[in-house]
Order: sequence, then C-alpha cells, then structure tokens
Amino acid sequence: MSFSTFVTDKTGLQKLYEAIISKHETYAPVEKFGKYDYKKVSSLKECDPDSPIAMTMSVKPLFFPRASKIMKYEANSSGTTIMETDEDPLAGKRVVLGVKHCDARGLQVLDAVNKWDYIDSDFLKRRANTVIFSTRCDKADTHCFCTSLDYDLEKLDALDVAVVNGSDGKIYLQARTGKGDIFLKENSDQSTMYDVQNTMDDVRSTKYEEDMKKQYIAFTGSFRLKMDYKDVNEKMAKRFDSPAFEEASRNCVSCNTCAFICPTCHCFKISDEKIKDTGVRYKSYDSCNNVYFTLEAGGHNPRPAKFRRWRQRSMHKFVYYKERFGVNLCVGCGHCAISCPVNISIFDVVNHVANSPASS
Amino acid sequence: MDYSKQIQDIAAKLFADGKIDVFVGYRMNSFDDNQIPVVITDPKEVAELVFTEKSVFNLTNYLKADHTRNKRVGLVVKGCDSRSLNLLLTESQVKREKLYIIGIACEGVVDDKGQKMQNCVECIVPDAVVFDEMLGTPKGIRDYIVNADIIELAGKGLVERREYFEQIFENCIRCNACRHSCPLCYCAKCCIDQETATIYNGSNTSSSAFHALMTWSLHLAGRCVDCRNCEKACPSHLPLHLLHKQNEKVIYDNFQNHLAGVEEGDRGAFYKYSLKDPDDFIL
Repeated sequence: MSFSTFVTDKTGLQKLYEAIISKHETYAPVEKFGKYDYKKVSSLKECDPDSPIAMTMSVKPLFFPRASKIMKYEANSSGTTIMETDEDPLAGKRVVLGVKHCDARGLQVLDAVNKWDYIDSDFLKRRANTVIFSTRCDKADTHCFCTSLDYDLEKLDALDVAVVNGSDGKIYLQARTGKGDIFLKENSDQSTMYDVQNTMDDVRSTKYEEDMKKQYIAFTGSFRLKMDYKDVNEKMAKRFDSPAFEEASRNCVSCNTCAFICPTCHCFKISDEKIKDTGVRYKSYDSCNNVYFTLEAGGHNPRPAKFRRWRQRSMHKFVYYKERFGVNLCVGCGHCAISCPVNISIFDVVNHVANSPASS
Repeated sequence: MDYSKQIQDIAAKLFADGKIDVFVGYRMNSFDDNQIPVVITDPKEVAELVFTEKSVFNLTNYLKADHTRNKRVGLVVKGCDSRSLNLLLTESQVKREKLYIIGIACEGVVDDKGQKMQNCVECIVPDAVVFDEMLGTPKGIRDYIVNADIIELAGKGLVERREYFEQIFENCIRCNACRHSCPLCYCAKCCIDQETATIYNGSNTSSSAFHALMTWSLHLAGRCVDCRNCEKACPSHLPLHLLHKQNEKVIYDNFQNHLAGVEEGDRGAFYKYSLKDPDDFIL
C-alpha cells in the first residue's frame, strides 16, 4: 500500500502548519531556557519545528507523561471507593510537529513493551490519536549514533508524516501511515501544495529518489560515532560479570537525568498524593540508576552499587530488550550524553564493556 | 590557566609514595575540548589528568561516592570547591587526614560555549581556602557583587515571585540531578525520597517539583557555595542559581556578611549563634 506524497515549498509548509495549529490540538518544540520541549502551541510563532537536536527533549512525555493520574480514591467508614480520574488521556486527535526521527523510533520501540503482557491502553490510545510530523536532520550532532542502530526511514512506522527537504527548495511531505495519509489529504491546501502521485512525472520522481540518496549519504557521513550493534549485543550478553562496568561508571553521579530524558526508558513508580481520606494515585518516571529503585520493603537492596545499576541499564538496553522484543532499547539519539552533567555516553559505556576481555 | 603538568606530577608522586588510593581530577573528553571528571585508581592513568579553564565540575561531589569512601583521596579544588570541602570537613563527612588537596588559585572557568561562567564573574573567593599544595598566585578575597537577575528577583513581590518560580519549575522533570550533583547533598536518605512521608509524595507533578526544589534550596541556605553544579546538571536548564543566590544574598545581608565555607570550621549561617543575628521576627 502506498501513501501520498505532497510537494510544497517553505511558505506552503508554514501555511500548512498554521492551518493545523488553528484546527487541531498541536504540540511543537517550544524554547525555554535554551532548551526545547514539546508544548501545546496556539501559533507558529511560539514554536520552532526545526529545533536543534541537541537542545530538544524527547517526545516521550506526550505519550508517557512524567506524572499521570491512574485513579482517585476516597475512604470513609463504609469502605474505600475507587474512582476514575478527571484526567482524560484519550483526548481527541492531536498533532505533534517537528519530531526527530530518533524520537519517533523511540515510540516505536516503546509500542512493543506497551503491547506486551500488560496492555497499556492509555499509552496506545494516545499513540492512536496522535499524528506525528517529523523533521529530518541534515547533520548528526556530537553524540548522535542513530544510524548505527538500525535506523531505516522505510521501517519507521511511528512517523505519520515525514517532512523532507529537497535540494531545490522543495519540501516533500510523505505520508507513512494510513492515519497520516488521511490527515494530510484532509489538511492539504491545493493552492500551495500538490500530490506527486496526481501530477506524476518521472523526472520529478527520479530526482526525488536521487535527492534522498544524496542526502542520506551526506547524513550518514556526518556521524562521529559508529558501532556494530549486533557485535555489541553478542559481546554484552557474555560480559555480565565484566569489571568494565565498574570502570565505565566510575564518574557517574547517579543523577537519573539520562533515564528521564531518554526516549525509550519506561520504568515508573506508583505514588499516592493523599489529603486526609482522599487521594490520587500517580504513575511517575523512575530510573534504574536511582539507589532506591530496587530497595525492598524489608530494607534489602539488590543493586546498592553504582556499577550494578549501570550494568542493569546497559544490559536492559542492549541485551534483555533485544532478546525479548527483537530491538535495542536505544535509538542512538544521544540525549543522555548531552544532558549528563559528566558527559557519560551510553555509547561509550557499552563499547567499553563490549571491548573488554570476556569473563570466564 | 593550565596546571595539567603540575597536577600530573603531583598525582604521580602521591601514587608513587603510596599516599593516596584514589585521585579525583579532570580529563579531556574524547570528542571535543570539554572535560569530564575522572576517578583514577591506577597510577598509569595519571597522564590523562588535565586542568584548564574548562575544568568546571565541582569534584568534592565525588567524596560521597563509594569509590572514595574510607579511602585516601587526592583531589583538585578551585575556590568554590574548596568552600564546599570546608563544609564537608566541618560536617564530618570526610576526614582531613585522608585527603591530599591540590588547591587552585582559580581565574574562573568557562561553559561549553567558551563564555565565563556567571558564578565566576561574581566570584568572591577565587583561591582555594583549604589545601595541601597551592597552584597559581592567590588573588585574595573580592567584593561581594550580585548579578542583576537577583536584584530584579528581590524587587518582586511575594505573589509575583511565586508565580515566577512556578513558571520556572513547570519545566522541571524531577530527575533530582540537581540534588545528586550537589556536593553538599549527602543525606543518607533525602527528605524528598521518603516513601512513607505523606507531606512529600514522589509523583513528578509540578507542585511536587516546587515543593522539592524549595525544600532543597532552604536546606542549602547558608551552605550553598555557588559552584553551580546543580545548574550544569539540570537537563531542563533551569536557572536554579536564582534560589541559592537569593538565599545567599539574604544571609549575607542579615548574618554579618556570612559566606558559607570560607573560614575553616564554618558551620553555616543557621548552625551557629551570634548575638548580632537579626531577631526582629521575634514578637
């Protein structure tokens, strides 16, 4: 099944964005303190869909909020009543502009765990109700390594509409899912954009292919970090007892930043906000790098040492998740390294471990 | 300001003499000209050590880590770092005899973009106040200056100030990186991590972020040395210095020009009693 591809130019794209913002609930990167975060916007001026990658938080919080209400409860002499929350996670259709491909891949990876065992209906409904517009990076940032981890635009199903810059000032809007296709057709403005398939001529389409190829080669060439993830997966699995984890994590300050901003980390904790006999139960982010993460009620902590927590984090990302779902729990966005106060990159850690001598 | 060679020599000598087990310093990043902290246990790695104006992180944070606990540690400290070290010594978190401190007469450090850090512009004590060995020429204590943003904040009304902070904390993701990277936050169990406490719940809402950051800043009032580890660690780039600097200014004005950790044995403004302390709040 093929989906439509529209061609437009810069002003056409801006017009489309404006139309979307005025019609739908739209989220886009909004700058605050030099950092871009996906926020609800009411005009295109407030946001920057082409935000720089190093400054952008992941899109994860729109689907898995940093704190979401699970339920409300009330206790009285006759017992406890459990109620639905007033928060509706399944709100109407919404659109996210300017999502990076790595973020979208993060969502794709998260789909697997949210559809497994316990089905997280809130997450999946948020996913189903959201149309994602991407931006394409022309160049890799210092810590990016997405191309090393099975980056393939063709397999990127989490993106609904890919926005791609052509070399001649043209912008291609490529629908990638049925949802995106319908949305794009509904919202396209015939005066500024046209469907490639309707006015198909071979020259344009060959040129488009060429453009894409050229761009992709330039893009992959700009990466500083490259790894063979299959090799890493294999080697990591054999190095559970490797002292390399200790060496690599020595200067970590256990601050959890990496997990909180990671597009694929999905550990959470449950906590109650209680006022007298009523309360709200929240699901909030947690991190395996936190000392209290594995603390048991009896006081025993199976992962008291920092390197054990780092081992869990890297093994989960490159071994356990891969074994269970067939993909790495890392998309190579490099956000963890950018935000880390001491610049530890998961890339360096897993490579250090994979290249260390195998334990007997 | 480049003391890399001197620090390498000192560290190598300390390891050779068997005076230390661990050395905490800086090394270059593998990919750009920024530096990262390094905890060295192997004397062979000494050659990696550097110290320039890019050596930003306050290394006294590592004194609470497992790698350095109960070990003999060599450490590099700048002016602000040494003030936090002074407090840690007074608060019995580290033993002086277990430390070998290389003090730096600091000329100010720069951020990722090469701009001088704001706290270095405002720096009052650039020279290390506690050290075994001093590198550089001491410059003495400077005048207390406060940046325009703090003056502006102080001029705001209470309601206005609350709104301002609420707007800032909206972006907080509650990762607690600020607390973890703070050298003076060493509580075995932080009050905001208590599972059983109902006053503070662990949910990552904006209101709990407000509560947590306010509690945290008040716990550090009169102790914060303005090293800005917290601000550098914050993934949302929140201007956390506004909290601490505002507290510092109030304390400086009201508690006989008190600055945390400048004097040896300093206990922090709220932990010592002086007849000159303000008492106008007593009815």
